[in-house]
Amino acid sequence: MKTAEVYEHEQGWNFEKAAMPYVDSLYNTAYRMTRNSEDAEDLVQETYLKAYKYYDKFEEGTNFKAWLFKIMKNTFINNYRKKKLTPHKIDFSEIEESYERVIQKNAPDLIRDPESEIFQDMMDEDVKRALDSLPHDYKMVVLLADIEGFSYKEIAEILDCPVGTVMSRLYRGRKMLERTLLEYARKYGYIRGVAEPAKMRSRKDETKGRKKKEEPEGESEVAEPEENEEEVLFTGGEDDFELEDEEEQQEEFAIE
Amino acid sequence: MLCDDVKRIAYFFLDGTLGEQKKNDFSAHLNLCPECEARTKLHRRLRIFVRNRLARLTAPDRFKQRLMRTLRAVAAEWS
Ligand SMILES: [Zn+2]
Repeated sequence: MKTAEVYEHEQGWNFEKAAMPYVDSLYNTAYRMTRNSEDAEDLVQETYLKAYKYYDKFEEGTNFKAWLFKIMKNTFINNYRKKKLTPHKIDFSEIEESYERVIQKNAPDLIRDPESEIFQDMMDEDVKRALDSLPHDYKMVVLLADIEGFSYKEIAEILDCPVGTVMSRLYRGRKMLERTLLEYARKYGYIRGVAEPAKMRSRKDETKGRKKKEEPEGESEVAEPEENEEEVLFTGGEDDFELEDEEEQQEEFAIE
Repeated sequence: MLCDDVKRIAYFFLDGTLGEQKKNDFSAHLNLCPECEARTKLHRRLRIFVRNRLARLTAPDRFKQRLMRTLRAVAAEWS
């Protein structure tokens, strides 16, 4: 027969065994969310402590990794976003148009030869900056889907939103990210022959000149207010996929 | 399926989440339309590129150790 102590101890051990394998994933995402290692460590630690505290609430057989991410996301919102919760307003038609512009103007060669190596020279710092230029909600879905490999359904669970919203945000987030990367590629001369000489600077100058763009503004940034229409793109009844409801959506996309 | 439809669902094709019929229509279109094929390839390349460049961070070892110590301390305290 187990005493309470033994049980608690075992629970702690079980939790540790179950949760520690995800520490790198959580840390990686936490770092992308908070943008610095100190806050990322705090966020991950708080996530683990909460998760341990509520471990008995975790439903066996459901996705433990997604559960941890959900706790982290809630913790993040409580701790960090309260302070400066300025909702990002986005003009979605502008995203489409500017994406097309960028493709047509800067990357005709790219379309002709998508296997070309132009991106290999891009600095990690630029990739990071491109991701950080996304509005938080869009950055989150891109991270969760494309870096962490969660399914739409898991992301919907983590973020507490409908699957259709996840898909809309993914579509737009990926588009914004690609557009920004293509713009950087041209501006900093990674697309050969297309770069504007005036904008080609040495790498040293680069880091200096770019530091101040932490706060997004300027050409690659998402423009003008247009009330929250993000739900529209892939939710029920839209002509995009002739989706009538959740059920049909499941069928349509064969969500696991 | 028209080019515009293809553009709209290209990411989901790459995710492998389209239904069977849509997936087949999509592939059929790519076989006939070099532009959509190139675009889709570009999407795929960029995604792999971003994943390779961003997935590198791991939690620092000293942090992992501290975290485990904290968890064990809390577990002991609660038992
Ligand atoms: Zn086409």
